[in-house]
Amino acid sequence: MESAQIGERVAKILEPYVKDTDAFAKRSDTTKILDDLKVNSARLVDVILAFEDEFDIEIADEDVDDVETLGDCVRLIAARLS
Amino acid sequence: MTEPLGRGELRALAIQRHASAVLAPLWVTLCLIWMRSRGWKLEGADETRELFRRLRRESSQPIMVCANHLTLVDSFLIAWALGDLGSFLRRPSSIPWNTPETRNFAHGFWQRALAWMARCLPVTRGGDRSDVAKTLARVGYVLERGDPVLMFPEGGRSRSGRVDPKSGAWGVGRLVRAVPDCRVLCLYLRGHSQQSWSSLPKRGERFHVSAVTLEPKSDRRGLRASVEVARQITRRLSEMEEQVLGAPEPGS
Repeated sequence: MESAQIGERVAKILEPYVKDTDAFAKRSDTTKILDDLKVNSARLVDVILAFEDEFDIEIADEDVDDVETLGDCVRLIAARLS
Repeated sequence: MTEPLGRGELRALAIQRHASAVLAPLWVTLCLIWMRSRGWKLEGADETRELFRRLRRESSQPIMVCANHLTLVDSFLIAWALGDLGSFLRRPSSIPWNTPETRNFAHGFWQRALAWMARCLPVTRGGDRSDVAKTLARVGYVLERGDPVLMFPEGGRSRSGRVDPKSGAWGVGRLVRAVPDCRVLCLYLRGHSQQSWSSLPKRGERFHVSAVTLEPKSDRRGLRASVEVARQITRRLSEMEEQVLGAPEPGS
């Protein structure tokens, strides 16, 4: 699967959790999920569990430590899919 | 488990642990005097202390105390519910470490000093993921050394005033799974007049306290297993709350 396709599906999953819709509209790979999009930190795990369901992958505890930006999400999912 | 701690961080933790024990007669006594001066009383502390003593006597395996969270001083009250002055002075290692929110406790010099002395490992909720991971690694390290750790699996003070059984800070589940043979002591503490969350309980407050052991398990793997373990703990706390307050009203 192409990174762009993964990115689109990631954005779709994230959208309901986003509080800063302007930042979401201007998103890029370097957009920070907590700081820029203002996603509640307690919901970050729900988002990542949704990635597991959407892409049928398994994510380890340690993987969450590296998730800060939208690009991190795409790279993590791409790595698990491969 | 999490990223390994460097030598400097391990040394810092060892110094904090030692200094906290040496200074325990000062800070534990002051904390107890302060709590008593506010007229606070614990109901059920004898049974809770006996259970905690028994767990520590039975084995040196790590103990994570998981409690509900309503006020900024819960960690002091919970420590008081787990031991009296004499037991803490005889065995300072039985005083639980805890992980207060940095913004609440560690922003001024004296607060930072008190938090450091009182075995706190401040964490910034929603902060940089690597900093949160570092705090989890520190907590895991002290647990593995046999020191008890107090965690709030709801991840913060309950805004509804009740334990949300669907909440569950994933980091708590991650630690329980990652630290070998970690035992969980669920502790429920609540002032009789505490309606919702607050900074301080009112003067003269009487607190209900009770504790039970729990062995959370999950057949799942990875992140999902840690979330499930954390939610088993909050469910148990919610059940303990129902025994005190009754079932929540539908829709609340």
